[in-house]
Amino acid sequence: MKKLLNKTLLYYLILSSGVLILSGPCFYFLIEKLYLDDVNEAVLLRRDEFFKKNLPDLKIEEISVWNKFNRDTRILADTVTASKDQIILQIFYDEMVPEWEPYHVLYKNIQVQGKPFVLMIRLNLVESQDLMLTLTWLYLGTLFLLLLANFYITRLISSKLWHPFYDTLQKIEKFNLQHQQVPVFEKVNIIEFEKLNSAVSKLINDIVKAYQIQKEFTENASHELQNPLAIFRNKLDLLLQNTSLNTEQSEIIQSLYQVSGRLSRINKNLLLLSKIENKQFSDTERIDISTIFQQVIPYFKEQALAKNINIVFDKQTTKLYIIANKGLTEILINNLLLNAISHNKENGTVTIVLIDNSLEVCNTSANNALINDIL
Amino acid sequence: MKILIIEDEEEIRESIASYMQTEKYVCEFADTLNIAIDKIVTHDYDCILLDLMLPDGNGLKVLEKIRALNKQDGVIIISANGSLEDKIKGLNIGADDYLAKPFHLSELNARIYSVVRRKKFDSKNLMYYNELEINLQFKVVKVKGKEVLLTRKEFDLLLFLVGSKDMVVSKNAIAEHLSGDMADMMDNIDFVYAHAKNLKKKLTEAGCNNYIKTVYGVGYKFQV
Repeated sequence: MKKLLNKTLLYYLILSSGVLILSGPCFYFLIEKLYLDDVNEAVLLRRDEFFKKNLPDLKIEEISVWNKFNRDTRILADTVTASKDQIILQIFYDEMVPEWEPYHVLYKNIQVQGKPFVLMIRLNLVESQDLMLTLTWLYLGTLFLLLLANFYITRLISSKLWHPFYDTLQKIEKFNLQHQQVPVFEKVNIIEFEKLNSAVSKLINDIVKAYQIQKEFTENASHELQNPLAIFRNKLDLLLQNTSLNTEQSEIIQSLYQVSGRLSRINKNLLLLSKIENKQFSDTERIDISTIFQQVIPYFKEQALAKNINIVFDKQTTKLYIIANKGLTEILINNLLLNAISHNKENGTVTIVLIDNSLEVCNTSANNALINDIL
Repeated sequence: MKILIIEDEEEIRESIASYMQTEKYVCEFADTLNIAIDKIVTHDYDCILLDLMLPDGNGLKVLEKIRALNKQDGVIIISANGSLEDKIKGLNIGADDYLAKPFHLSELNARIYSVVRRKKFDSKNLMYYNELEINLQFKVVKVKGKEVLLTRKEFDLLLFLVGSKDMVVSKNAIAEHLSGDMADMMDNIDFVYAHAKNLKKKLTEAGCNNYIKTVYGVGYKFQV
């Protein structure tokens, strides 16, 4: 995952590098052609100049003097084999530099006082390697400058232009349904961001509303079920006052009491489950499991006593901290203990072991242990 | 003794009233918020039973009204919403007790008894039944002037039965009363039998008449 701005920068880097690399050769050939054309023009200009100004009154005995002072326009004996009347590329050794250098050369037959000679006009070309090197450096410099400029522009955009976007993002991230606080977005004068903000606001409002309705439904369901249950139980209480009850009727009443107790428990458990599903227990804190056990165990003494079960809790000083919801953790521990007692045999034991960040609640039973995989 | 039952469910009103009649309580009814407020403004009650979810509003408004009028009526919230937040909210506004539905009438009776006793300044902390003497303040039971050592649960059980004197109290109601918040977890109520047996034994050994009668397998009754 990359940041949006880094990604922009990367695309820009790829794009500008591509453009520069592709345009490099074109640029190189164009410059070279322009330069060579220029050189050729200069060669032809010198030829014309020579023919017009120098050749008409040139004498044979002056040729050696001419050659002495002109490095690039020379008059040679008529022994040159190279092709004439066209500009050709030739390499000469330059003693001044000293290295082999490319030249554009024009050979032309001339007549001095009726005798044939050859005129050579040459012009030194800048080495194409030098040209390429210079161009490369120029291009790299341009690329670097472009990227630098882009980096700062992106940074500027990030802090100014994209600010509302990041602000909105941060507020959405912080939004928690349980706390029911609808975020208030900054006013922006950019259409897209304004649209985004209003869409998100609408979405959040809808969610909050739906969540509220769901919570209310849970409460209503509770109300609807608890009232009939209360009536059921109260009528039993009244029925029990009847003095003419016989044993059989009493037994029926007793089993109805048990049913009413079970119904009430089931209803409460269903409510608890729906509250957990609704994440209404999102408040967490640091809890010591050992302390909860110490608080809870006395309440189970009676249940344990009925079956003569011994609850063993060693190492009570061992602390085991977890980050969780306190109410739910207590319910969990209650359930563990209750099940350990319910599914136990007469004169059995329940052993609670707390070591090395682990909790074990063990019970004795005539039945087989539960299979881990199907839990 | 006058009790106002604010509850929109008729069957619940009737059941409570029917049970309370034997306790010589006079019951009045209100099934909406408005009727309830009219009644508390014009009458005084020893105890008000308040359901929070009423057809025309939240019952907590009645509680606020009572406190605004500076009345001394005892208030017990009987709510279908047994959540802790709801309970804390009700008690904070000034309810004297909170009982979640579904409840046992004997439990409600005990709560009413306790609220009414606390509200009366001349509350007598001693109860006498012939040779049996119960001191509520120090939680001490004496038979013929001699103290009988009871466990906390045995004392609570005795008091619970005495609270619903002459009435049959079911074992389930006793189990829930004795185990408090843990009541929802209990699926085995055999421990009630053990406590009742011990209590009866201790009292009769001290020379007390057997006032605690077993009613078939269903419950117990304190009868002098």
